Amino acid sequence: MTNTSAPCPSFGELSDYWTSDITPGDAERIEAHIFACERCARMLADAERLRDGIGALVRAGSIQAFVNDAVLNRLARDGVRIRSYALGPGETVRCAAWADDDVIVARLRADFTGVESVDAEMRFDTGEEWAQATDVPVRMGETELVLALPAALVRSAPTGPMRLTLRRSAGASGERILAEYVFQHEGTLQR
Amino acid sequence: MSTCEDGVVARAVAATDADEATAAAETELYRRFAPRVRLFGLKHLPDRSAADDLAQQVMLVVITRLRAGEVREPDQIGSFVLGTSRMMVAGQRRGERRRAAIVARFEPFDEATETSNDLALDSRRLAPCLAALRERERTIVLMTYYADRSATEIAAALGTTAGAVRVSRHRALASIRDCIEAPRAS
Repeated sequence: MTNTSAPCPSFGELSDYWTSDITPGDAERIEAHIFACERCARMLADAERLRDGIGALVRAGSIQAFVNDAVLNRLARDGVRIRSYALGPGETVRCAAWADDDVIVARLRADFTGVESVDAEMRFDTGEEWAQATDVPVRMGETELVLALPAALVRSAPTGPMRLTLRRSAGASGERILAEYVFQHEGTLQR
Repeated sequence: MSTCEDGVVARAVAATDADEATAAAETELYRRFAPRVRLFGLKHLPDRSAADDLAQQVMLVVITRLRAGEVREPDQIGSFVLGTSRMMVAGQRRGERRRAAIVARFEPFDEATETSNDLALDSRRLAPCLAALRERERTIVLMTYYADRSATEIAAALGTTAGAVRVSRHRALASIRDCIEAPRAS
């Protein structure tokens, strides 16, 4: 029996249906509701399209984001071609994107003791900002952050040095700059 | 949209005379419920084509049984469609388990890779909306919807609580949805 008197779930609750967090009982409750409520069925479809679209963007290597091994492993399983560079504070790395790379990964090592979140920015030598991120979460005991960039974006960037700076997020006490890294971008390479 | 209207349509399908009005009611019933069955299939079946097939099969059964007068409460047609969907998914799973057991006995096989490149949302609209999120929210969204991680797993990875992950996720999705809808509204 469908319960039409049940209040409509929020978009957030409906979107939980597409996650591994949903309990069987909650899934059944949502299913009973959407089979009685066309409006909520449409919202559930919106949430599914969102999930699908996000997955497609990530698989296409179109997302710039700080990621972790869970996402990297899934990218590898999906056949996404990843090129990685690892560097410590103050280090410079010569880097390039190959024509068939999908994602460029920068493994940024630093001492994150006592840091809960950081802001990041990448600038050309001219001072022009190329990319930035705010409120990157840092887990206790973390020794590196992993930045994934669309290879197409890297290929379109001018050659030359790019400086990446990690800072404690605004509001944190103490010295804000945690580490700086230099990417000596050498352009696009062909095999 | 009310259950009442669904019931009116179902009763029209159940009318004994197969005339043009009945055909129109069947089309309307299909329009109303096939998308919901498909969503149910997307949750419980392995791929989109299986969900599409489920929607067609369930609606065929529902319409056939309505025509035959075998649906006792057309006013509760939603319950009937959901129940039929559940039974057919359970049947498909049993069939799949039998098939897998047979295949495993006789030959190793590779799982088919999903090859659909069809972006359900216009990526030109979605990408900037995803990019506009705070990094913490973007990480949570990617871990949830791409890496299939639970709130508990994400909380452990980010050093926070599962409740905070859910709150951030809801907020992020609402932002993305608003961002996507904004150009349409303006």
